[in-house]
Amino acid sequence: MGMVIAAAHTATHHGAGPACAVALASRAARACLEQAQVSPSSVGVLINVGVYRESNTFEPALAALVQKEVGINLDYIADPAPAAGFSFDLMNGACGVLNAVQLAQSLLDTGSADRALITAADVHPGGDARRDPHYPYADLAGALLLQRSADPDAGFGPVSVYAGDGPTDTEGYLDTAAMGSDGRSRITVRRTEGHGARRSAHAAACTAAYVREHGIDPDRTLVVGPRAAHDNVVAGEPHTAAPILGYLRALAAPRPADRDRLLIVTAGAGPSAACAAYRPEGW
Amino acid sequence: MNTSTPNRHSRLEALGIHVPETVVTTRELTEGISAVRDADLQRITGVAERRVYDPDPAAAENSFSMALSAARDCLAASRYGAADLDVVISASITRFTDGGRFTFEPSFASLIARELGARRAVHFDVSNACAGMMTGVYLLDRMIRSGAVRNGLVVSGEQATAVAETAAREVTDSYDPQFASLSVGDSAAAVVLDASTDEADRIHYVELMTCSEYAHLCMGMPSDRSQGIALYTDNKKMHNRDRLKLWPRFHRDLLAKQGREFTDEAFDYVIQHQVGTRFIDYVNQTAETEFGAPMPTSLAVVEKYGNTATTAHFLTLREHLRAGTARPGSRFLMVPAASGVVTGALSATITNMGV
Repeated sequence: MGMVIAAAHTATHHGAGPACAVALASRAARACLEQAQVSPSSVGVLINVGVYRESNTFEPALAALVQKEVGINLDYIADPAPAAGFSFDLMNGACGVLNAVQLAQSLLDTGSADRALITAADVHPGGDARRDPHYPYADLAGALLLQRSADPDAGFGPVSVYAGDGPTDTEGYLDTAAMGSDGRSRITVRRTEGHGARRSAHAAACTAAYVREHGIDPDRTLVVGPRAAHDNVVAGEPHTAAPILGYLRALAAPRPADRDRLLIVTAGAGPSAACAAYRPEGW
Repeated sequence: MNTSTPNRHSRLEALGIHVPETVVTTRELTEGISAVRDADLQRITGVAERRVYDPDPAAAENSFSMALSAARDCLAASRYGAADLDVVISASITRFTDGGRFTFEPSFASLIARELGARRAVHFDVSNACAGMMTGVYLLDRMIRSGAVRNGLVVSGEQATAVAETAAREVTDSYDPQFASLSVGDSAAAVVLDASTDEADRIHYVELMTCSEYAHLCMGMPSDRSQGIALYTDNKKMHNRDRLKLWPRFHRDLLAKQGREFTDEAFDYVIQHQVGTRFIDYVNQTAETEFGAPMPTSLAVVEKYGNTATTAHFLTLREHLRAGTARPGSRFLMVPAASGVVTGALSATITNMGV
């Protein structure tokens, strides 16, 4: 049985207060559970793949804070019907969602979980991406609920991850030697000139490699690429949530008559790229 | 490529570490802190000394360099070379590179894989507080058991004393939320996992859970009072008896589903998270009550290395195997205790692991 996306949602920052990755991720995650009509306790594993977060928090995993907001395994002893939910953060820049999809496949295959929830939330640590002209990303979250499908033709194919040659084009860091007492609101994202073109070239090379390695018919495949989600819906570039946004857009549009599957491609810092074929249920 | 079978297992194939050469005693650490007496810190935590990274920029000793060194130490004891690795998982909480950069992207794993020459390895970081390495081992175990990969490396380097530097400046007394930060030490550890072919070397199970009600009890972020990263812990709530019961209840339920009890596991050793000597005693006492059974020999290195965060269990394992105070061929129980809060159990027989 294949693993399918049972629900997918995004959440954007609105309101006067600072943007909060935990709040945005939780909102997208709860929308997924509502859409799929499943309870929080049915989620075995929650994987948060966001990179940039409020106050540059490094402990605990933001996933634990999202888990609390969503109401998964609050207290194993106090719960009259305990379900031992587990969560962690996975970080690999723009490729986090597909890394998490690969792990979810192994977790479902080994019976470690029946459902996996992936959240991808990035916010400027200071609370408003628009106020930092040097920070390129949007305050944005996405979530995917993954589970098995009875449809043998639906679901994800293998996930492949590719390391690129050459130095990384993108570095995101907190300069702790120069942050003073403002470390909670500062972040540096440094990108070299021409990074966009090199990222596209890397993504294209990995897409070609994936198509070749897995015998994909490119004429029947709709590519959801790393820039598929980039337009002006939010201020700034979607980061780790980009493939979720791209997936939702692809499904919202009429299916091209000659295409019957998606190829989700991500590329970013490392340089790293990842690809996964996906055939939606009933698409 | 799903060739998962219910009886497929992974094993710990090799283990490597790196510890900085500089030793700082608890007396030396507390000399400059008027609010804390060394006797208090040592009495409460049991930590006599810890290793501390070399702050000289020329030495370039940081989370990344230590992780790389541990990975190389591990591969030197492994049958695999870097090019053979299918996966590289990095689990550092403190992701410092040269010049005090705390890194968010690219992943440490991608940088480590590149430096090692693990060109085709799937790579990603996990961040799960002090359960990070255990989380990496859990995920790699599932990837191996599902047939997705054949082997992989889980590595972590912790420049944890960065939070102690901040605490030394800011802590006001032994009830301060940063007090626990004074007990940390720097280190790195790395393990290679591959498929188990016999019971002499096998991860029998590794199961983890997060009880998220208590996710706010220990938070790490930059300080807003001075330049440095800080860890704020509500020790009283974090380590109260109800929190400590979570592991034995969870473990007992896991075993009960298979019709087993704790004593059936015949553990030779238990390795608790190395928070402090009193903590370890308290966890073991609580577990004895909950399981209604004596605990196996409890291994520790916290007196010598402090709380080394993600690396603590594997540093303890390596030190005792090297010293001969843990016997090869034994069955080990490792119990994480981390912010989140994360707990669980790893049960492994270790006989031929390269150390």
